[in-house]
Amino acid sequence: MMESLAISLVNAVPVLSGVPLWTITLLIMVMVAAVVLTFALTYSGLATYVERKVAGDIQARVGPNRVGPVGILQFLADGIKLLLKEDIIPAKADRFLFVLAPYLVFVGSFAAFVVVPFGVGLIASDLNIGIYYVMAITSLVVVGVMLAGWSSNNKWALLGGMRAAAQIVSYEIPVGMALLPAVLIAGSLSLQDIVRSQGGLFGIFGWNLFHNPFTFLSFFLYYVAALAETNRTPFDIPEAESELVSGYHVEYSGIRFAFFFLAEYGDMFVVSALATACFLGGWHVPFLDAEALPALWGNLFSLGVFLGKTLSLVVLMMWIRWTLPRLRVDQLMRVAWKYLVPLTFFNLLGVSLWLLLFHGKGIPQMIASLFG
Amino acid sequence: MGLKDYLYDIWEAVATTAKGMRITARYGVDPRETITLQYPEERWEPSERFRGFLYNDIKTCTSCTMCVRVCPVDCISLESVRGADKKMVLASYDIDIGRCMYCGLCVEVCPPKSLKHTSGYEKASVDRGELILHFIHEDAGEIKARVAKQVAEAAAKAEAEKAKAESEKPEAEMAKDGDPDSRAAQKDAPPPAGGNPEGGGAAEKKPGEEKE
Repeated sequence: MMESLAISLVNAVPVLSGVPLWTITLLIMVMVAAVVLTFALTYSGLATYVERKVAGDIQARVGPNRVGPVGILQFLADGIKLLLKEDIIPAKADRFLFVLAPYLVFVGSFAAFVVVPFGVGLIASDLNIGIYYVMAITSLVVVGVMLAGWSSNNKWALLGGMRAAAQIVSYEIPVGMALLPAVLIAGSLSLQDIVRSQGGLFGIFGWNLFHNPFTFLSFFLYYVAALAETNRTPFDIPEAESELVSGYHVEYSGIRFAFFFLAEYGDMFVVSALATACFLGGWHVPFLDAEALPALWGNLFSLGVFLGKTLSLVVLMMWIRWTLPRLRVDQLMRVAWKYLVPLTFFNLLGVSLWLLLFHGKGIPQMIASLFG
Repeated sequence: MGLKDYLYDIWEAVATTAKGMRITARYGVDPRETITLQYPEERWEPSERFRGFLYNDIKTCTSCTMCVRVCPVDCISLESVRGADKKMVLASYDIDIGRCMYCGLCVEVCPPKSLKHTSGYEKASVDRGELILHFIHEDAGEIKARVAKQVAEAAAKAEAEKAKAESEKPEAEMAKDGDPDSRAAQKDAPPPAGGNPEGGGAAEKKPGEEKE
């Protein structure tokens, strides 16, 4: 995709014909990456503000309201504060790993943005192994979290890191299993293909969510498991500020802490984006085909729709966070291994059988065919 | 655990989560649920019986020193002199509000009800001296000097009258000796109102204790 863009750019601007093609391709790649990263960081910043506002509303408080109109610039102030803070590395810490860990977490979280299908043509790289890539790259987060816990040389951090490892490794299985029904229906691992498979004239009923009862259940199972993967309340065992102080990032300060913080919000977005793309029809809306619109408007419209759906799910996560108390470690493991894993397997089996028996047709499709 | 229990567990988890989220949603959406007060801009109206800073109406104060004696933390200091009309005149009345524990005993004990709690409660300062409330802004020494002068004038007048009436001498002598300074007034003062003659600095000493 990048290479074809580069070729068309060279054709359009003859001056560039002297430059090797790979340089232009690389430049375009860097630019796209910069755009995606800028979006991700802006989103993360605003999400921290929204989170605090949501928390305030739910707890009968006001939330940030001093910096800028209704406190909207609070995240800039926080960002500047974190940048200016002293970067402390404990004397007995493993310096190399301690420095490395935040980057791993950050990269693991934000690299997943590459395959998020923002719109009809708005995807940094439409990998044909999209979902697989997301699952793989977000596993880097576990490594980063464990390194952070280990290298801090702090018992709380170590406990947090170990708990995070146990939790994320456990919940990767239901997450993967819950996403597989969407893959089965679309017959592709590419997120853009999965989104396209949910289009059609049924409007809302083209979504995988309503394909059959198993996919309906699958969405909720995915959401719960993914919530656990982002290490947020009620699954914030690795952080657990009231028992582990703040878990694996207890020794981090300043910009290194900000990396962990941003990664958490990045994770939330990726998880919600995956749920949107796999179950909520991605950028599809009822009765309007974004792909039929002119390229610019189609892209803008589908971007708006996709962001709307995804950010709603992000807000839902915040809502859950400020409602539910934290699970105990044993409860957490019980939810994963005794409930989510068997249920997702059951779902996968159900969807497979459904697709086999009804030749890939969903319930809305069957109802529609009844009426011709 | 049978299948029934298993499914019931799942149902319970979903139902209780939904219940909790309904509650938080109500709080989140309803602006009337916000109870935070934006303090510098908005304030609570203190209740009627709120014990705020003390205020002494020096016009009705009789310098009886009841407040000074009853105060458990010795935060009130009072100086007074006997005036020409035999009533006590306040020379200084200070309350160290930084020490005050707002027990309200002084207010309860005040015979003319001149000492009161106000609704004030904001008095942050960087210097503890600013926490001392002065109810008489005039210099204590000046008041004493002025009162002493008045007393002396009155005494002189009385002497003149007595001389006219040819009364006993010792009294007139005594008044004569006391004339220049304020000691005459202090000697005449009854124990409660006594105060320390040079008490400007050692304001927190209780006169009552000295007498005992």
